[in-house]
Amino acid sequence: MSALAKTRYFWRSAAVGLKHSPFVHFIAVTTIAIALFSAGLARGSARVLDNLLASLGGEVEVTVYLAPELGQDEAHGVRARVEELSKGQVTLVPPDAALERLRTELGDLGEALAELPENPLPAALELRVPPEQRTPEALQALAKELRALPGVSGVDYGEQAVERLTAIARALRFGSLVAFVVVLGATVVIVAATLQLAIYSRREEIEIQKLVGATDRFVKAPFLLEGLLQGLLGAGVALLGLWAFGRLVGPTLGSLFAFLLGPGVAAPWVEPRLVMELVGAGCGLGLGGSFVAVGRFLRV
Amino acid sequence: MIQFFHVYKAYPGDPPVLSDINLSVEKGEFVFLTGPSGAGKTTLLKLIFCAEKATKGQILVGGRNIARIRESAVPYLRRNIGVVFQDFKLLPHRTVEDNVSFTLDVLGVPRAAARDKVRRMLKLVGLEHKANSFPLRLSGGEQQRVVIARALVNDPTILLADEPTGNLDPALTVEIMDLLTQVNIRGTTVVVATHDATLLARYQKRTVRLERGQIVSDEDGVKAARRMVV
Repeated sequence: MSALAKTRYFWRSAAVGLKHSPFVHFIAVTTIAIALFSAGLARGSARVLDNLLASLGGEVEVTVYLAPELGQDEAHGVRARVEELSKGQVTLVPPDAALERLRTELGDLGEALAELPENPLPAALELRVPPEQRTPEALQALAKELRALPGVSGVDYGEQAVERLTAIARALRFGSLVAFVVVLGATVVIVAATLQLAIYSRREEIEIQKLVGATDRFVKAPFLLEGLLQGLLGAGVALLGLWAFGRLVGPTLGSLFAFLLGPGVAAPWVEPRLVMELVGAGCGLGLGGSFVAVGRFLRV
Repeated sequence: MIQFFHVYKAYPGDPPVLSDINLSVEKGEFVFLTGPSGAGKTTLLKLIFCAEKATKGQILVGGRNIARIRESAVPYLRRNIGVVFQDFKLLPHRTVEDNVSFTLDVLGVPRAAARDKVRRMLKLVGLEHKANSFPLRLSGGEQQRVVIARALVNDPTILLADEPTGNLDPALTVEIMDLLTQVNIRGTTVVVATHDATLLARYQKRTVRLERGQIVSDEDGVKAARRMVV
């Protein structure tokens, strides 16, 4: 008994199977390709969303208001302490600079500020938060720590905006995950149904195999290989589609949304990691579908 | 080689197909199972190669109790039993050679060795010149000879044939029966189910007669043949 001879037989039988019912296998490969193409697009979109969040997150600034009675040396001391706590980039904005900035921002109305008897604005520290601290929880914790520092009269970081943005991102990710799972489930069902047709058309062969002493594993193996080949083909088609999408539509999207999305869209849609993920998912889908189909058939 | 002890087979809601079957077939024996349609001949054969399970009783095949055999062990048992059906069960899109080598594929016999064995077997059944033909291009007798070659190619110890000549004309019937006799002379235990009385008279082998699921007679060939003549 030779394992090599059996392996050869399985591959030969799988190839014959693909040739035997081309239309059925075409449907299965197309279904897998569409599912994986959608998954690849969702993955690319998620990357764009991450870029968007990162760029918007970069805008998140914490303003630390200093007590009015603080001298310049003490203000520098607080700045150093804030820098140490936050590991971010801190800029000291003295009261005069803050007033000047307000005047510029108000435009024509800024003239009215000249009527003020004294500058009402306190000195402030502008903190550019490092990426790892851009979640609402981290910002909240940092703000609490900063408020407790001596010489600090208040902290503002646009709490609501950050929370809303993060909630939107979380909802989008969860939604796409649910959609992805539903699409994968549906794909396994469709692939299983199409493969079952192919298996049914070879029921005589299976009956004879079992009659002459084939084990269930022996009967299943060529069909599982067929599923695997379908998955590989489907992944190949999906990757080709994504590559074409990136080449044809990517640049247009990039120029349309560059103002909002930054450089994310221009990034390649087919990366080595994505190739591995889609090939793995394709094999999983093909094998899963054929496993369900063969299992169901042999039970009958 | 094959022993039945008080074997029953029944399907829920129906009268028993086999009742209290006690039978012993020795190694190298040739046995006819006969009886009218529905007597239980096919079911009895199916019990031997585990296509059906006995409702009650014990069946020994080659000393192994197959009434209690695990599902996973059935394929290994079947590798020692060749089966021939009335409706051939050949794969129409494969050549004669591929149909015969199908059994060896299952056993993982390397292709070159399998090809040699298949050619020898086709020579035995007189079809070596049809190795590359497709089954539907062959006569009924030739197709049945391909089935016999497929059943024998892995040298089983038992050959079961269910109405192997049922679809054949008298000349082809003799051809196939002569082949089965030859196989038996080479040492294989052969059990043939048939309701063709002329075969029993002509070949004069031990004959077990079934009626309504019960063995009503078990006679040696000469006695059975004499009865057929009377």
